[in-house]
Amino acid sequence: MLREVWEHRADYAYVLPAITVMLIVIAYPIYYTIELSFFKTPPGLQLRDKSFIGFDNYTAILTSEVFWKVTWNTLIWTLGSTLISFVLGFGAALALHRDFVGRGVLRAILIIPWVISAVAASYIWKWIYHSDFGIIGAVLVGLGLADRPPNFIDNVSTVLPSLIVVNIWREFPFAMIMMMAGLQTVPEQLLRAAEVDGANAWQRFWHVTFPHLRNVSTVTILLLAVANFNSFIIPWIMTGGGPSNASHIWITHIYELAFGRQRWGVASAYSVLLFLILMMLGYFYVRALTGNERKEGGA
Amino acid sequence: MTRITLGSAVLRATVVPVLMASLTSTTALGAPPVDLSKWSPEYVRSIAGTQDFDTAADCGKVTPLDYKGRLTFWYQGVFEGDPDLLRQYYKDFFETFRKTYPNIQLEDQALTYNDLLDKFRTALLGNAAPMAVRLQILGGTEFASKGYLEPLKPEDVGYSTEDFWPGAMKAVTWEGVTYGIPTNNETMAFIWNADIFKRAGLDPDKAPATWDDVVKYSKQIHDKLGIAGYGLVARKNAGNTPYRFMPQLWAYGGGVFDEASANPTYGEVELDSPQSKAALQASYDMYVRDKSVPVSALTNQQADNQPLFVAGQLGMMISHPSDYNVMLDLQKKATGTDKDKAQTVIDNMRYGLIPTGPDGKRAVVFGGSNIHILKPEYVEGGKVDEPAAKAIICMWTSPEWSLKMAYAGSNPGNLNGFKTKWMKERLDNIKFLDVTTSMLPYGIPFPALPQSPEIMNIIVPDMLQNALTGAMTVDQAADDAAKKVKDLMGGL
Repeated sequence: MLREVWEHRADYAYVLPAITVMLIVIAYPIYYTIELSFFKTPPGLQLRDKSFIGFDNYTAILTSEVFWKVTWNTLIWTLGSTLISFVLGFGAALALHRDFVGRGVLRAILIIPWVISAVAASYIWKWIYHSDFGIIGAVLVGLGLADRPPNFIDNVSTVLPSLIVVNIWREFPFAMIMMMAGLQTVPEQLLRAAEVDGANAWQRFWHVTFPHLRNVSTVTILLLAVANFNSFIIPWIMTGGGPSNASHIWITHIYELAFGRQRWGVASAYSVLLFLILMMLGYFYVRALTGNERKEGGA
Repeated sequence: MTRITLGSAVLRATVVPVLMASLTSTTALGAPPVDLSKWSPEYVRSIAGTQDFDTAADCGKVTPLDYKGRLTFWYQGVFEGDPDLLRQYYKDFFETFRKTYPNIQLEDQALTYNDLLDKFRTALLGNAAPMAVRLQILGGTEFASKGYLEPLKPEDVGYSTEDFWPGAMKAVTWEGVTYGIPTNNETMAFIWNADIFKRAGLDPDKAPATWDDVVKYSKQIHDKLGIAGYGLVARKNAGNTPYRFMPQLWAYGGGVFDEASANPTYGEVELDSPQSKAALQASYDMYVRDKSVPVSALTNQQADNQPLFVAGQLGMMISHPSDYNVMLDLQKKATGTDKDKAQTVIDNMRYGLIPTGPDGKRAVVFGGSNIHILKPEYVEGGKVDEPAAKAIICMWTSPEWSLKMAYAGSNPGNLNGFKTKWMKERLDNIKFLDVTTSMLPYGIPFPALPQSPEIMNIIVPDMLQNALTGAMTVDQAADDAAKKVKDLMGGL
């Protein structure tokens, strides 16, 4: 093994600076967060006055009502945003894969939501949704379709779906780009052969195109899921987790616990749990990436 | 007949102006204190413009004007809800400071009210705080109690403690030690649109006398005109929410603790008292029962109410006198018929005292900001340039600049600011200033406790949101909030 390391010394030297930086900016904060999650950090004291309480923070989290509410919100947010973004992005990629007049322009237009700053998009959507003077409300009232503007973000039932719509609007171009790239890899001759064999459009998609896109689909879904689990800007700017915690997801709740309420220990325990979930998603992501290589290597 | 000789005439002509000048142009420390027992709009008018202060000379005694140093400084600056006039004064202050102290390298950073506390706390955890900071009144005790701040009192920068509001001094005092100096203090007032009142069948020249009247007026405006009556604000993590709800809570006889009493002890939590619940019920009645306030109140702050008000879509709100200037700024930006509509609103803008509770109790939040010096161990580089910090603190809390930096929306923290010529000028220029200064004696400071920011920015807005969204009943929301405060005070 040492011999192998020595033989690859130049490779190790190349990655050393990156590894060093990662150790400083990633490994140490992870270690410190884990350590802090075992301490009580009363908001009235400095952080250095913390006291060791073992797993009490984890117990407190898992037995609190808010945790389950926030977890449920996070699941809806992540699954809803991820799956719908993927389906819409995939659909758009299939539509744009065919050659037609204006395809380039349409592709550029559809990418716009993804390149707009999330902060700017959040403020724009906040006004679009505004419960008294929003654009959607004005149009609906103007057309006589509603008596008063619909309440999108000031209502506990509608706030989360409304935020998910914004998130999907911002994310589906990413799925579209990924799937468009994937579609380029589907062998044309296979599709023609299937056509010659009498397969209809759906059969060609289901038996030829889709199996070729399995890996890129998995990677896209996992990347979207990780991003959505960590998605902070849209819910924080548009609602701050409200009203009445109805749009709090893990990451906004952690932020409020830490920076608003200074419960560093509890916030750290939450972060550790979130980290474990993301690591699991990361594991599947790596497997999806390397699975193909293994198959190719084994073939 | 009195004979006046040439010699005595010359003497009078030279000595009297000098004497007058010496009487009117004094150092801030030598100025007789403002008599708070006489406080009234007339008294404020009588003292305005009676004294001149030489800020550079005063501060030069604290930190020599040729002092060479470096200062990092964060402050709660102007934001989207402030008038342009204030923006200009902030710009002028920093330009003047740099001219007055050309050898102090000043690295200043403005943060908004809602961001400052979070960012400052984060910087402190990383020992990367600025050397000096100007915080909202709510923040002083939190950081003093945790030991982040250096003791600092008005006398350390050439002023006297009695030149500042006693309530403001309480907010910078922890366990008997003073840790900061108030820069500005204010109380808000009740604003209404007389034209809307008239069209809704209300007396256009009378503000609602009680909070129950506010509920009634709001409903009447909404029912008759189809617009929002009262500009309720219930956003979480936004300073605007407690500043608008606490006066209502106190007026009904409630409170978080006993902070509205003459000698608060903060011993008992009173958020679940019948009086506190009555105040919350009033908000519930407006939002849920009558639907007479903006639906967007749960995500709005006062900056969102301002465009509604100038558009004639909101009848009443609570705010600073600066909102009149904000309306003027918004009107300038309007085009076409919107400009005329905005002018109509401005012409019909009225200010009055904040309504009372059922028992005639009137209350308002005694707000403001304080300036502090950090301990070196929490500052980036581990060093604090104290003379440089004192230079900027002396200047900001001087009668001149504490007045100018509060020109449109607040009042000088240094009471001698009321005696300056700029106070006289603003009494003429800033409409309705009389009304808000009249509210000052009704001002109640937030509890001087380290837990106050969490109570006011999170627990109280949560209580409002829980009741207004129907997530809890009024009783449950109040009980839940009271429990959270008890847990917080118990160290949980």
